[in-house]
Amino acid sequence: MIEIIRNKAKEWLEKNEDGCVIGYERASDGMTARPVFIYEPHMMGKLIFDETCVHNLSKYLLNRRGTRTAVVVKPCDSRGINLLINEHQLDRDSIYIIGVVCPGMKESHFGRIEDHPLSKCRRCLHHTPAVYDVLVGEPQPETASHDYSDVARIEGMSLQERNAFWKEQFGRCIRCYGCRQICIGCYCQECFVDELDPLWVGIRSCPEDNWIWNIGRAFHLSARCISCGECERVCPVGIPLMLANRKLEKESADLFDFEPGMDAATAPPFATFIKEETLEKVE
Amino acid sequence: MELTYEPRIVGFLCNWCSYAGADLAGTSRTNYPANIRIIRVPCSGRVDPLFIVKAFQLGADGVLVAGCHPGDCHYSDGNYHTRRRVGLLRPFLDYLGLDKARLRLEWVSASEGKRFSEVVLSFTDTLIKMGPRSS
Amino acid sequence: MARVGVFICHCGTNISGAMDITRVVEAARKMPMVVTASDNKYTCSEPGQASVRQAIADNKLNRVVIAACSPRMHEPTFRKAVAAAGLNPYLLEIANIREQCSWVHAHDRKKATDKAIELVKIAVAKVIRHEPLYPREVPVTKRALVIGGGITGIQAALDIANAGHEVVLLEQEPTIGGRMAQLDKTFPTLDCSACILTPKMVDVANHPNIRLITYAEIKEVRGFVGNFKVEIMQKARKVDHTKCTGCGTCWQKCPEKSPSEFDLGLGNRPSIYIPFAQAVPAKPVIDTDHCRYIKYLQWVADGEQGKKPPECRICEKICPTGSIAWDQEPQTITEEFGAVVVATGFQVYDHRHYEEYGGGAYPDVISGMQLERLMNASGPTGGEIIRPSDGAHPKTVAFVCCVGSRDQAKGRTYCSKVCCMYTAKHAIMLKEHDPHVQCYIFYIDVRAGGKDFEEFYLRALDDAGAIYIKGRPSKIYQDGKKMIVLGEDALMGRPIEVAADLVVLATGMEPRTGADRLAQKLNISYNTYHFLVEAHPKLRPVETQTDGIFVAGACVGPRDIPESVAQGSAAAAKVVGLFSRDALVTDPVTSVVNRDRCIGCLLCIAVCPYKAIDCETTRDKRVVAVVNESLCKGCGLCVGACRPKAVDLRGFTSQQILEEVNSLWS
Repeated sequence: MIEIIRNKAKEWLEKNEDGCVIGYERASDGMTARPVFIYEPHMMGKLIFDETCVHNLSKYLLNRRGTRTAVVVKPCDSRGINLLINEHQLDRDSIYIIGVVCPGMKESHFGRIEDHPLSKCRRCLHHTPAVYDVLVGEPQPETASHDYSDVARIEGMSLQERNAFWKEQFGRCIRCYGCRQICIGCYCQECFVDELDPLWVGIRSCPEDNWIWNIGRAFHLSARCISCGECERVCPVGIPLMLANRKLEKESADLFDFEPGMDAATAPPFATFIKEETLEKVE
Repeated sequence: MELTYEPRIVGFLCNWCSYAGADLAGTSRTNYPANIRIIRVPCSGRVDPLFIVKAFQLGADGVLVAGCHPGDCHYSDGNYHTRRRVGLLRPFLDYLGLDKARLRLEWVSASEGKRFSEVVLSFTDTLIKMGPRSS
Repeated sequence: MARVGVFICHCGTNISGAMDITRVVEAARKMPMVVTASDNKYTCSEPGQASVRQAIADNKLNRVVIAACSPRMHEPTFRKAVAAAGLNPYLLEIANIREQCSWVHAHDRKKATDKAIELVKIAVAKVIRHEPLYPREVPVTKRALVIGGGITGIQAALDIANAGHEVVLLEQEPTIGGRMAQLDKTFPTLDCSACILTPKMVDVANHPNIRLITYAEIKEVRGFVGNFKVEIMQKARKVDHTKCTGCGTCWQKCPEKSPSEFDLGLGNRPSIYIPFAQAVPAKPVIDTDHCRYIKYLQWVADGEQGKKPPECRICEKICPTGSIAWDQEPQTITEEFGAVVVATGFQVYDHRHYEEYGGGAYPDVISGMQLERLMNASGPTGGEIIRPSDGAHPKTVAFVCCVGSRDQAKGRTYCSKVCCMYTAKHAIMLKEHDPHVQCYIFYIDVRAGGKDFEEFYLRALDDAGAIYIKGRPSKIYQDGKKMIVLGEDALMGRPIEVAADLVVLATGMEPRTGADRLAQKLNISYNTYHFLVEAHPKLRPVETQTDGIFVAGACVGPRDIPESVAQGSAAAAKVVGLFSRDALVTDPVTSVVNRDRCIGCLLCIAVCPYKAIDCETTRDKRVVAVVNESLCKGCGLCVGACRPKAVDLRGFTSQQILEEVNSLWS
């Protein structure tokens, strides 16, 4: 599989001399993966692909607008590319997408690769990328239906329990904005938290402001989050961010029959409406 | 539950329908509890979900977003978008521990003065029964 | 640094009766940036306004809060007062302590006072963040476009032209005249339709201010009120109207006939034709679907396969002025207008949808409009009312009302308004043509609401002896030479059968095919039936939500000739009003994009109901949104959608609203 990736990338780079190939290489621990930017065809041997390639590389495409770039993507990452094209951030023609049929990624901690897949991979529906120029690996059938048991567990709690749960989770937030930095849907030049006039959210890490920050970010990603799980992976204090994002994903699917990132053309729910729809009203 | 608990309600009312309906409630001398504080917006579609979140974070017990009936929006489409935004925000806030009954979306036309006061009365009642927020 | 003045009104005892005004004034004095707070018995009165102006001068105020009745009541009044004191009128905010406080909390003085104080606090928090706003002026092009050359469009065009403005009257058919040209007589006066219509058609043709463009359609509309740019597609007539004199030699000699659209298929017309004798312009077009030479050219282009069709070209050979122009192509004409009137009218509901009535299957089951053509002396039968099947004069005629109207099963629930009246007219006219004819009219209700309509209907009953049967027929079928109408006589509570020589289905009105596409080009709304939507059904019947675009006549909903003419004139009055100024003043409460914050996701463009937002490329090659302030109506939908908070609404900025919310907890 890796040979195909290397060959396709090399072929492309030879034809696009001032382009760049974004892929994965072996990290300095000799075990895990890290992103790599290759500008010379003869360096293509650096590319690897295994179950430590957790990173969503499509975010780097935003830095390379106006240039030609090839990128190695897993199915979740590819949805990010569709999202960005839909939101007029990327030009499809200047990207060469090497889509990889994904076997699932594994967690790695402290010099050890776990033997079980990431929870997001266990739940994964789409094993074949949603968009690609070349597909590496045999197309896999999709998993039949969504597994929202993690969300359902929280939904099953009482209101007070949920309140306490999230107070504890968001209470740990240190406002490092790692989640925002890694997220493919977060590409605003100036985030709403950076605005001083009006001051939407205070800058300090404190329970009240952390609450607005996390809700605001999640809501800005409603019907946009492509479930790559990177935010949760990089959170230094282990906040289960996907548990919040997936609730919005579930509601979007229920209310609007919309799954983000599956194609680049469909109008997202907040860009449109159906006159006759009645979203549940509470008396 | 304290006897002196008075819920604080923030209301975002659209100028053309619901705010006019609230005015009519006054012109017709109806009565409703004084717990609501109304902020006028040109259209319910102007209401940024972050306003609602901010109001709750500051301590609002209830937030009312009121607009024109679907199909009657003065700006033709505004309330359809409001419906979607609030429709997604409410279950999310409930999931995070903020009872969805605290966020209400109501359609009040300029001729529905009585209805407006009924809405405020019923919302205030509901909030009193629910008691103060736990956080 | 803001210097706020707060003025609290007693409104007689309307406000002061329910709360402690003194306490409100004292609280206001302590609010941030409030320099002065006072109360007044009637702030809107002349002395009240004078005291506000004086206070502004004395205290060098630069922001004003007036706590009084609803802004929907007196915002314009107080804006003028503030402007008279030298301040920008938008540096004002009104706290509604009457309709939304004193009048609804009359039983708890303390709570009403507490609430009033908070409402003032909210207003102060907002007004501190107000910026001066300046309305803009946009120029007005004093030319009008009227789309649709029926009686409504003709009336509108004449009224605007008579007021001294240039009008382009656009019509998609080869001639103007619309449905009225097809009618024989009109209810309730029994005026000859063509006699009252054709003089107006001639007026249009001769009017120095009217340019008539027929056989043309709208291709694209851009711009905004006062400044529309319209692309018109002139279809190819294949006849050069600058040379043609309308002598008629060509259409007399053309050998290829096909069913006439004007006569609704009851007669034929040649392939080079004018639709009817009084057509304006009275110069022909060539029907390229049937013309023999066009078919020959197609045969040549396809490689000369199969039998060679006749080359014909008779019209070309006999035309004395050489007007036939086979190589004529469609042309695009671009024009600028300040206002558009849409008067595209209606078409008759297709009775072939009623298979249960034999619509389309039996030649003797015809529509109301087809009967008009039979009755008309210039029609396919020279005014003889005869059965299409065998040419015999019918003695028994059955009418079925509400065909394509008031019918849930056929997806048309509305009433078409005119059919009861025209059916009565048909009964009266049939009796005039033949005193021995008997008419049976199957109806659900008889709607005769207009002036002299009831008396006209009684004429059909009493003078013409029409028999009205209340009940909707279930089926119509042929038996020998008769058409059997199976119905119910609901008043007698029994079924009834009428054996008729001719059946007339009183078909309803529907908008012209393509009305929805035209509406989309103009950015105006239409309902499920594709009738255009007016700005307000009662108070703004000829305006639309899009400034500068007006609607009139049957394209808005079923209506008769006097209503349509009235609407045409009403729309014209609106246009002339619009043109009475050289420049339009825009409302400054509009959105504006901060280009540095905009990420070009263009969600604002998707949600804007007025298509007022466009995108452009900055010098550093970023695509950003930009608001056209002439089109922006200040709804703020874009602001509610914007994630990076790049777009904001002047007058209701995010900062202002957020501070209003914050002030409740400060």
